[in-house]
Amino acid sequence: MPTADPAPAIVLDHVSKSFGSQCVLKEVSLVVPKGKIMVMLGPSGTGKSVLIRCLVGLIKPDSGRIFVFGDEITSLDETSARDRDRLFALRRRFGMLFQDGALFDDMTVGENVAFPMRQHTKWSETKIRESVTDNLKRVGLPGAADKMPSELSGGMRKRAAFARAIALRPDIVLCDEPSSGLDPVMSATLDDLILELHKTLGMTFVVISHDTAEARKIADYIGLLYRGSLQVYGPSAEILKSKQEHISQFLARETRGPIEVL
Amino acid sequence: MRFDRFVRHALRAQFQGLPPRDEFMRHAIDAGVGSIALLTLLTVFSGMNLAVQAFGTFSRFGGQEMLGLFCGVGGIRELYPVMAAIVCGARIGATLAASLANMQISEQVEALEVMGIDPMRRLIAPRLWAVTLMLPLLCAYADAVGIVSSYVASVYQLGINGGVFISQVRDIVKFEDLAAGVLKGVIFGWLVALVACYHGYRAAKRDGAEGVGIATNRAIVHAAVLCIVINMLLSALMYT
Repeated sequence: MPTADPAPAIVLDHVSKSFGSQCVLKEVSLVVPKGKIMVMLGPSGTGKSVLIRCLVGLIKPDSGRIFVFGDEITSLDETSARDRDRLFALRRRFGMLFQDGALFDDMTVGENVAFPMRQHTKWSETKIRESVTDNLKRVGLPGAADKMPSELSGGMRKRAAFARAIALRPDIVLCDEPSSGLDPVMSATLDDLILELHKTLGMTFVVISHDTAEARKIADYIGLLYRGSLQVYGPSAEILKSKQEHISQFLARETRGPIEVL
Repeated sequence: MRFDRFVRHALRAQFQGLPPRDEFMRHAIDAGVGSIALLTLLTVFSGMNLAVQAFGTFSRFGGQEMLGLFCGVGGIRELYPVMAAIVCGARIGATLAASLANMQISEQVEALEVMGIDPMRRLIAPRLWAVTLMLPLLCAYADAVGIVSSYVASVYQLGINGGVFISQVRDIVKFEDLAAGVLKGVIFGWLVALVACYHGYRAAKRDGAEGVGIATNRAIVHAAVLCIVINMLLSALMYT
């Protein structure tokens, strides 16, 4: 297990996961310190999305342990009613930005952002409305509250989903490929948004990406996952200078090297 | 998720407390009000057709005056509850399965889970309650529309005495028959919703758009077959 940080938000200890004969995660161990931005790089289909789902207990690893602020999420059995309640309580510490936003398409953008507040707080409707307006303003969508998700562009959907993910000011925000399917300007806008939210709200971010420019711009910590194995992991300044062959190839966008096209 | 596990989770979610009001109302209105036009149209023609067909057969041996008996027994005990279940069940089941499958494929169900909200309580329980409560009302409505349609066809088209028709319906159709129709509605409603929710809920992101079609198709076919088989068993229990 890597060296323990004094205040880790997330600890993965030898986490492995297979689907049938296909091993998706192999003995992955890492520590994400509290209040930092960790970017997990890797080509498509190497287990990044499985990793992020393991963190919130959507997928249970076959072996290994995952701790979130000291609480072990992997020991909770979703089929037990008691553990299920604890699991859901633990998940409330997370906000997640899904690849396509995952906005509820039968609700307006405003209702989407208000949804976690209505579910988990006893705030008055006035306070909820104010909070929705504030969150939408933060993500650059001040006038979108009454729009339906189907009326938004890809970038706007992601930003609206971001507003929902941070609605309850979670301790950890997970972002699954935030820049995928977006033009470079919109990707840069989302990166700025992550940096801005990180700066103002102090949340821990775990970002899954294959965009090296994004990693260079926002990451405090960088990891590279390839075929389920964590090839490198550490502070971004070290990793960006690393001569390790996988990360060197990935950052240099080379076709020759240990990373093969699947 | 396996069916038996889904049923266990669904039952626990359904009886764990009141379902979310907004979701329940939305699905109750869609299942109930949304089915009225289709059900009215089909029941009017089925009720009239029942009278016309029976008249053609009964008149061969001079039994045309027994039309009220046949329309009462055949319609209220059997035809209308099953028709309401299959027709409305197909309509409602398709909507439920497609919406849930779409939510799974677009990661909306996972989004709920990450927010610490139990999708069974949020999505499945209100749908089960809505359809379980609405289908018996639709069955009762189909009974009323169907028997009135049979009366209209019998009296105004086939020349049967209206008073005789009504007295025969009153003689043969007891309160128990109406109650049985409503009870069937409750059972069919729960089954239709359960099967539709199961097929919609088990769709996965990797299934893509095709997954929505597959879930919808399975929901309609399985619900219809289940309703017909269960109806036969219930009729055997109630009337033999």
